[in-house]
Amino acid sequence: MSENRLYQKLVFFSIWLVIGLLLGLAFKEQTRIRTAELPSARLPELARAYVQEKQSNAALEEEIRQLRQRINELETAFASGAKQAELLSQSLQEAKMIAGLLEVEGPGIELILRDSARKPSGESLEQLLPELYTIHDYDLLRVVNELRQAGAEAISINGQRIVATTGIRCTGPVVYVNDVKMASPFVIHAIGDPKTLIGALEMPGGVLSDIKSVDPKMVQLKALDKVRIPAYSGSTQFRYARPVSAQEVKP
Amino acid sequence: MIAVGMLGLIIGVIIATLVLNVSLPEEWAAYLSLAALAGLDTAFGGWRASLEGRFHADVFISGFIVNALLAALLAYLGDRIGVDLFLAAVVTLGGRMFLNLSLIRRYYLNQFALRRQRG
Repeated sequence: MSENRLYQKLVFFSIWLVIGLLLGLAFKEQTRIRTAELPSARLPELARAYVQEKQSNAALEEEIRQLRQRINELETAFASGAKQAELLSQSLQEAKMIAGLLEVEGPGIELILRDSARKPSGESLEQLLPELYTIHDYDLLRVVNELRQAGAEAISINGQRIVATTGIRCTGPVVYVNDVKMASPFVIHAIGDPKTLIGALEMPGGVLSDIKSVDPKMVQLKALDKVRIPAYSGSTQFRYARPVSAQEVKP
Repeated sequence: MIAVGMLGLIIGVIIATLVLNVSLPEEWAAYLSLAALAGLDTAFGGWRASLEGRFHADVFISGFIVNALLAALLAYLGDRIGVDLFLAAVVTLGGRMFLNLSLIRRYYLNQFALRRQRG
């Protein structure tokens, strides 16, 4: 009788142990799913937007201050007349800087995107969607867009400066950037606050997380203290566009 | 008997949350929860049976395994054919758990009343 009783207890114990295991696992799994779905995907994005908004506010105020100062400068320059030539060349430099016609350097990031080395096998995702495993024009466009949004001041892809008229387009197996052919790997340099740039690129649900979800080895991202970005070397001729009312454009 | 069961439960939960570090696919999570529910139902059944003095280890163990598998299988089948069959398992198991728990409660209340009569 007592032996039977012990046996019963053992069975009871082990069954409850297994139930505990199942419950614990189920609990952990549900917690994981819940935390993965809501807050962690939303919060960093909102926090980033908030910080960026604050920074851009501060930057705009600074810009207003500088512009006011500039007006003062110009007024005094007109009065004196002598400093005019100097100011003109200064604003020419600025315009060239904005247009990407000067070689620039500064802190920034290096991002290398390459096609996946994985070989398609069997009934896998690779075979069904092989285009997921290569880098396309839209990946580059999303990266460039995200970098600009995060305040990148100069961007280049494989040494090609991205300017206002740059086109990025897939043609067959190659990508044209500024009418220059290139293929994987794509080395993207950008000058700006490295933290902000990396944060923008690695945003949950952003471009890099999409690529990484296919194959993490396709993406290599690092901050650099000094990035050198060459000047735009293509044509700057305007064949159709003309400035409106030349009198108003005068400085 | 129950103290033994509770001890097992606590140890199991501790092992699952702290020691085991497996991450299951998300699709399995629902089946896992259902299997746990089925196990819980069987365990309550076993508790009641032991109180009524007709506990059989073989019935208990087989019931545990088969119910857990059946519940998970039903849910899987439901997923495949687009009918929420897991609801059937939840309703049945949940209802039976309430029934068993009420019988267990009554048993202990009876015991308590008897002891007071004698005392």
